[in-house]
Amino acid sequence: MPNRTMTRGLGIAYAIAAAAVAAAPLALNAYWIDVLNSVGLYVLLALSLNLILGDAGLFNMGHAAFYAVGAYTSAILNTRLEIPILWTLPASALVAALFAALVARPVVHLRGDYLLVVTIGLGEIVRIALVNDVFGLTGGANGLFGISRPTIFGHRLTSRKPQEFLYLIWAFVAVTVFLFHRLEQSRFGRALNYLREDPIAAEGSGVNTARYRLLAFALGAAWAGMTGTLYAAKMTIISPESFGSWESVVIFLMVILGGAGSIPGVMLGAALVVILPELFRGFASARLLVFGLVMMVMMVFRPQGLLPYRLLRFKESDLRRAEDAP
Amino acid sequence: MKISMRLAVAATLLAFGSARAADAIKIGLMAPLTGSWASEGQEMKRNVELLAAEQNARGGLLGKRVEIVVEDDGGDPRTASLAAQRLTTRGVVAVVGTYGSAVTEATQAILDEAGIVQVANGSTAVRLTEKRLKYFFRTCPRDDEQGRVGAAVLEKGGAKRIALLHDSSAYAKGLADEIAATLRAHRANVVFFDALTPKEQDYSAILTRLKAAKPDVVFFTGYYPEAGLLLKQKRQMGWKVPFIGGDAVNNPDLVKIAGKDAAAGFRFLSPPVPKDLDTAEARAYVASYRKRYGEAPSSIYGVLAADGFRVIAKAIETSRSTDPDKLRQVLVGGLKDFPGFTGKIAFNGKGDRVGELYRVYEVSPSGSFVLQK
Repeated sequence: MPNRTMTRGLGIAYAIAAAAVAAAPLALNAYWIDVLNSVGLYVLLALSLNLILGDAGLFNMGHAAFYAVGAYTSAILNTRLEIPILWTLPASALVAALFAALVARPVVHLRGDYLLVVTIGLGEIVRIALVNDVFGLTGGANGLFGISRPTIFGHRLTSRKPQEFLYLIWAFVAVTVFLFHRLEQSRFGRALNYLREDPIAAEGSGVNTARYRLLAFALGAAWAGMTGTLYAAKMTIISPESFGSWESVVIFLMVILGGAGSIPGVMLGAALVVILPELFRGFASARLLVFGLVMMVMMVFRPQGLLPYRLLRFKESDLRRAEDAP
Repeated sequence: MKISMRLAVAATLLAFGSARAADAIKIGLMAPLTGSWASEGQEMKRNVELLAAEQNARGGLLGKRVEIVVEDDGGDPRTASLAAQRLTTRGVVAVVGTYGSAVTEATQAILDEAGIVQVANGSTAVRLTEKRLKYFFRTCPRDDEQGRVGAAVLEKGGAKRIALLHDSSAYAKGLADEIAATLRAHRANVVFFDALTPKEQDYSAILTRLKAAKPDVVFFTGYYPEAGLLLKQKRQMGWKVPFIGGDAVNNPDLVKIAGKDAAAGFRFLSPPVPKDLDTAEARAYVASYRKRYGEAPSSIYGVLAADGFRVIAKAIETSRSTDPDKLRQVLVGGLKDFPGFTGKIAFNGKGDRVGELYRVYEVSPSGSFVLQK
């Protein structure tokens, strides 16, 4: 059993955050609601990368590629076959996962910076393929447009009411956070952590390294793909510039800044990376400069991340209980 | 600590700004101030801010000060949708911008639903105005306009056998398709229609194939690096058929790549570069721009943003109101030959600019681009 007091504290924090998001439309204008929507999308992306980068310790800086695959899958299914956009969620998860498994298979044995370089290349290949209108499906540099708005129980969501997207996106975030916490405490999650800390020892204890790494990639990609669906549904247009290498860097940054491996930390990281540049809009064209400075200061003073991952701690009582268990 | 101080300063500035703005007419400017198109965005900002300052020096609009609310769209659809949402909450009556077509598209619905007039300056994709949004206009031409002008130039030149060469990019292929469709409708003879591979160093193979088709003229719709190499290697082959280019070859590097001898006589279509704007107002404007910023405006898209601001100001003055429906009424029906910096401006019911913006340029023997009258 993990340290229970921390879990309770975290539960309260989540409850407060959920209540704050649910009540946000009462207090905030459309612009800040839309900023919260952006935060939600990036929380999902950062959590999906956290599986790969934080839990399994695989340096993936091409995560936007999986995001793009999901978004384009949904957009193509929706605009060509007129499948309602939210029904394409499983399809984009599946396609993104298969794509990730396919491209990661030959490279998962690479470590650290070598994998990083390969995944940067992967991200660029996907972006350039999209620009070059691969298979005549992606619309080239202009992207795809005319994606229909999502409909929930016969109710159509529009950009006039960003609060409706707020609930859609953050409901998805809530489900994700719950599932990822369960995953973290499962055999699978712990196997990934072994792999990150010491791959050789993990292999010695019977963890199939290649298989777990591939699974981490596939699962992370599936989640990024579904986030792509939500993004396509919200924007109704997608174009290659939304999935460039900068996007991958930003998602990577969120995970590292918040604390790799820590779900609340990664969420905080995503929120800061999205909200800070908006707060600095007053600096006009210098806003990204100020943003960069803040990032540097944070990394210098808290290199382990804002809410770092904590190793599981066991009390003596836990040990006794485990021994007593039949 | 420092950060919180800066934030406090910024917040105070913003608060002061809004307090002072109570009796001002606010016009939004959405521009890519950061990202890969930052130079275009900065120039748009310079143009529009200069015009607003001049307008205020003349007493503003309807007796009120004009205030420009600038938002960065980052050249990215997601950031742009946030910028548009933010503009809708800041009480702007109209918005100038923005540059990229996909970026503009992400903002169209938001501004239209909020009842804010938008005048885009660099978004040329045809579909933007085919949606028939009530409050969307643009001062730049559409992609199909260049195709039409290109076909007209080819036909006027009296060429019997025409070759079209593109590079498979969405822009270049679209333009080539457009020209071919117009030419075929007029029963002209298109003897060659194919693509080269961009970023190669040797185009002699495609040039040999082109030569075998025996065209009277070759229209290349791609970008300047390839155009430069084509001209250079065409000269090395000793082939004399004239080449014409689209507006993506409008870059001084074309002459550097091709060499002055090979580039001389090459013609291309382009909106006029700012130094060639020929009306008295445009010349006066370029002079005051030079006075304020120490250099002439370099990008036509910045000047098109300036024209966007001017038609909005004109519509507010004419209708004596900031109501979007009244502004639309003036913009669609009441702008007969408004003297814009980039030529006469009027809009059709879709919000597209009426009238020709494209001109023909020729490379002179000294390597400069000369406007053909």
